[in-house]
Parts: sequence; C-alpha cells; structure tokens
Amino acid sequence: MTVALAVPDILVARAQAGDEAALEALYRAFETPVYNLARRMLRNAEDAEDVLQETFLEVVKSIRTYRGEGHLWGWVRKIAATKALMRIRREQLRAAEPLDDEPVGRPGMHVGANIDLERAFEQLSDTSRSVVWLHDVEGYTHEEISELMGKSVSFSKSQLARAHARLRRTLGEGEGATT
Amino acid sequence: MMHCTMDDLLALRAGEASVWARRHAEDCAVCRAELEVLYQRVAQLKALPPLHPPRDRWSIVRGAARTERNRRRRTWGGWGLAAAAALAGALLVPRLGGPGTLHAELSMAKNQSATLEDQLQSYDVDGRVLTGRMAAKLAELEDRIAVIDGDLARRGTLKPQAQDAELVQLWKQRVDLMRQLVNVRVGTARYVGL
Repeated sequence: MTVALAVPDILVARAQAGDEAALEALYRAFETPVYNLARRMLRNAEDAEDVLQETFLEVVKSIRTYRGEGHLWGWVRKIAATKALMRIRREQLRAAEPLDDEPVGRPGMHVGANIDLERAFEQLSDTSRSVVWLHDVEGYTHEEISELMGKSVSFSKSQLARAHARLRRTLGEGEGATT
Repeated sequence: MMHCTMDDLLALRAGEASVWARRHAEDCAVCRAELEVLYQRVAQLKALPPLHPPRDRWSIVRGAARTERNRRRRTWGGWGLAAAAALAGALLVPRLGGPGTLHAELSMAKNQSATLEDQLQSYDVDGRVLTGRMAAKLAELEDRIAVIDGDLARRGTLKPQAQDAELVQLWKQRVDLMRQLVNVRVGTARYVGL
C-alpha cells in the first residue's frame, strides 16, 4: 500500500495549536496507513493496534516539533515504524532470541506449496517482514532502515535478500537460478 | 553455469549491480526471468489491500490530547506569572514613549492571565459538565486559547522588541477568553452544587 497523503498546512497549524478537530482529522487521515504499516511489520493484530495508539499519542505530544520538513505522513510514518520496531525488539529480548531471519511457519503449512503472497509474507520473521515492507513498499533506503533498526546497512541488505529468497521458495516461483 | 544470486538481483533492481551481474543478466534468460519475477513480487506487495484497524482508538487519543492541551495552558499561565514578575522590575525604571507603555500593558495582561489561570484551577471540574451547551462552549473557548498559545509559542522564537504590540494584543485576547472560560466554569460549578 502506498500513501500519498497531502495534508493542508492550515490543518497542521491548527493541530499544532492543539485544535481537537484538526487532530482528529489527522487521525482519520492516517489511522489506516499507520495501522497497515504496523500490521505488516508485526505478527499480532493487537500489537498493531497498540502501535497505532502509541503513534498518535506521540503525534499529539510532539506535533509542535514538526517543522514541515517533508510530508507530514513521512513524519508520522517514521514514528509508527520506530514504535513497531521497538515492539519487535522487546519481543525478541523477551524471547531471548537474536534478530532472527528464520521463518515462522504455521503448523500444517507446507513450505513450497503454491500459497498466496500475503500468507508467504506472513511466514517471514518480524525483522525480515519489516525490512521488506519498509524497503519495497514504503520506499525507505537501506541507510534509513539501518538507522531505524540500529543495525548496519549490510544487515538490512542481507535481510532483504534472504526474505526475497524465502518468498521465492515459499511461492514456488522462478526457474531455480538463484541460490 | 553460475547464475545471479538474490543479492545480485536486488542490486540489479537498485541499479547497483556488479559488472559481472549486469553482463550476465543481459545474456542469461533464466536470470532475466528471475529479475522479472522479483519486480512482479514487489509490485504485488505494493498492491496488497490496506488493513484497517478493527477498533476506533480516537477516544483514547482524544483524552491524551485534552490532557496535553490543559498542560500547555497551565504552563503558559505559570510562565505568564513569572514573566509578569520579571517585567515588574523593569517597569520600576520609567521609560519615555511607547515601549514603556507596551511593556506595562504586556505585564498587566500576563498578570491577569495568570490570575485567571489560578481561578480556573479552583473551578476546574472536568467530567462534571452536565449540559452539551456548556461542554461545547468550554471546548470552543479552550480551542481558541490553544490557538493563541500556539501563536505565542511561535512568536517566542522571534525578536520580542519587534513583536511587542502584537504580543500585547494576543495576551489581551487570551485574558478575555480566559475570563469567559472562568465564567463558564463558575456557572458549571454552581450547576453541580460546588
């Protein structure tokens, strides 16, 4: 899902002044893109809802610091992506797992079966899914992703390559050229 | 025959591939097909339908927004009182012409605003508004004060001297709105028997 939401400057100014109607208008404009981003990055729908809420609590608190650099959506999206990645990191720490690149298969799901892209995408690890979504769909560069994740650029690149190799295998695509 | 890896294909897509990968992809139909599959997969990812939040979280965000707005208003009120005290010292030195008068007016407006903030605290009965009309009036006044506070915050970064006359006007408007807000709050408090 790509978003090209232009928000009028006057709406932003009113929101910065604390105007509730303006804040609600921003919430309504961005709630689906924010939730969609979080849901694509996170496995759990409730976690994505929490990220949606946390993102807008941050927007309410910090919108006065937004100085109009780039689109407002880019600013909001960065907050949402950061919140989602923090949640992934917390979950990984709780599970005492490293930033993984292993797939999370579902019981009874056969890798290699001709399943649809959405389900194949869900099978990727949180980290891989986040990198694929941020890079391929949201248009983040590897440099930006590495900054968000606190990792190196090569980490982001290798996650993307592994994720695509896995998607390709899961979907049974191609003619076997790649290794 | 050695083919492109996924790293090579992604680098080709990004226009950052090695010379070997570029030349190979030109000659190898298998790798060109793999690259095409990669393009299609990314296009399909972009075309996935948006997922909508199952529940509306605006009420929670709105609560936070109101708390934030009240916090800012109180901060401005406190700041006004402090600024008034600071300016009072400056006013002890007589000045000729307009600037002195403006400073005095500014000081007075900030002082009044701070006093009204204090009064408002004693009548602040959030959650006890009983009529829709009162609630709407309070929200309208708070919104208008918030707009002025936002304006004052922005002007805080400008040179004060050049902005004095406008600042005085803004602070006077704020005092007027605060007075109205206090009156509505007093009415509300009486209504609920405080």
